[in-house]
Amino acid sequence: MQNNKVWIGIFLLPTFLLFCFIYLIPLVLLFATSFCEWTIGSDIIFSGLENFKQLFFHDDSLKIVLSNTAVWILLQSTIHIAIGVALGLILSRKRWYTDIVRTIYIIPNIISSAAIGILFLCILNPQFGMVNNIIRRFRPDFMHNWFNNPSTSFYTMTSTWLFYAAIVTILVMAELTAIPKDLYEAATIDGASRIQIARFIELPLLKNIIGTTTILAATSMLQKLDIIIMTTKGGPGVSTMNMPMYIYKTALVDNNYGLSNALGVLLILMGLAIVWLINLIYGMNKK
Amino acid sequence: MKILYIILNVLKFLFIITLVSIAIVPFLWVFINSFKSNSQILSSVAGFPDGLVIKNYWNAFKLAPFVIFYRNSVIVTVISTCLNVFILSMSAYVLARYRFKFNNALVLLFSVGLVIPGAALLQPLYKTLIATSLYNTLTGLIITYAAFGIPITLYIMMSYFKTIPESLEEAAYIDGASFLRTYFQIILPLSKPALATAAVLQFLLCWNEFQFALTLTKDVSKRTLPIALYYFKSAFASDYGAMFSAVILVTIPSIIFFIIMQKQVISGLVAGAIKS
Repeated sequence: MQNNKVWIGIFLLPTFLLFCFIYLIPLVLLFATSFCEWTIGSDIIFSGLENFKQLFFHDDSLKIVLSNTAVWILLQSTIHIAIGVALGLILSRKRWYTDIVRTIYIIPNIISSAAIGILFLCILNPQFGMVNNIIRRFRPDFMHNWFNNPSTSFYTMTSTWLFYAAIVTILVMAELTAIPKDLYEAATIDGASRIQIARFIELPLLKNIIGTTTILAATSMLQKLDIIIMTTKGGPGVSTMNMPMYIYKTALVDNNYGLSNALGVLLILMGLAIVWLINLIYGMNKK
Repeated sequence: MKILYIILNVLKFLFIITLVSIAIVPFLWVFINSFKSNSQILSSVAGFPDGLVIKNYWNAFKLAPFVIFYRNSVIVTVISTCLNVFILSMSAYVLARYRFKFNNALVLLFSVGLVIPGAALLQPLYKTLIATSLYNTLTGLIITYAAFGIPITLYIMMSYFKTIPESLEEAAYIDGASFLRTYFQIILPLSKPALATAAVLQFLLCWNEFQFALTLTKDVSKRTLPIALYYFKSAFASDYGAMFSAVILVTIPSIIFFIIMQKQVISGLVAGAIKS
């Protein structure tokens, strides 16, 4: 068995190298340069907490960006989850439509989100989009630019992901198959209605998976870049700007690398805080 | 009680129908419109096109180098998926089977990707790839995607390996099989279902990835399919018919792939999510 040690090393090495190259080195670079002044063509100069001071005390856009991101996280971890769980509970009882509904509902989750972005741009196009066409049936001179009007841009953007909760549905359905059948039988014999079974048996048993999907849904709001880049690029103004889009803009449009990496550090800390908070709410660490 | 039951049932069906419509109607609308001429689209008559016009698809191919985008996407996705599954299953095997000093630390380290939002790494990764002259190469994308799949593949493979009885390997060792042979000839063939699940998830990740494909490449000859849409949006925004067909061209492969591999995708999504 002694020479197995060599093999263990050899089997771990490629993953370790890959990890170092794509995660470790960039992470070290990220944290180190978040304390530096670094723009395009300039040297990297240590500047202490300057970037963070700039962000927190002199950056008015960041306040809106943070509040946008926070509202999206909140909506996603409540309404999105509720939709997914409700559908999961409905579909867990096998009917003729179960498979077809599940298959269709998951489609928006498996195609590229860049395509979702374009899809929404098309159906919401002010001239020929489907939505305005339908409204014009009732109000012939209706004209509204959903994405570019500041009064609707935020919620238009929200609608591109809020209702697509197929992942939650699938996880809830998978979890429900693990509930022992005799529990249902006992409940039915005791005269429990369908709603009571959902409320008093299924939901309590789903607590952990709901917590898990809430974490997934909430942290996915810290990753949404594709759809925003494809549609509004964060505009009009900063009304649909979230953290990833702000980082993208700071790093690759304004070329302020030090500042963008300070934002990156902030983003990672937000992610950790959310995971911690949701774990706390759902009490998931006490297994 | 009877009336309440009927109302609940109606509500239930309304709910299902609403969600299904939200999921599929935009797609169907774009699909139907992709066969209409530009003037027909702009005259905003809902309804079906006059006959099947595939001119838009032809235009889409003429306007954007779709053949190159498809080729790049296939190359990146296939190689990255193989690379990811091959090296991750090796690591998952030793991490699941052997107890050694840094075992738990390594599992934790490799899971770091789960809590790092991709956007945080955009600029540092961009600089890292420039420094190693992998920027604007397919190799750069392949390596990047293979790494992004580390946590999920590792988790799927580790939990599968744990279900294989250890007596199997002991028997192989007694028969004189080496470590390498035991792994490749006994363990790996047994793990096909888990390999398929992990590969399918990695495949979708690579095929659909957008933000790093956008930032880590710059020449048209190095770009992948999701970027084609970006290209259309900025360069040919007035040819709507072609843009609609571009959306269909980009999404159809994922949808067909999903319908064929549905079982693996779903079990992968379930396995992939439990890790957190």
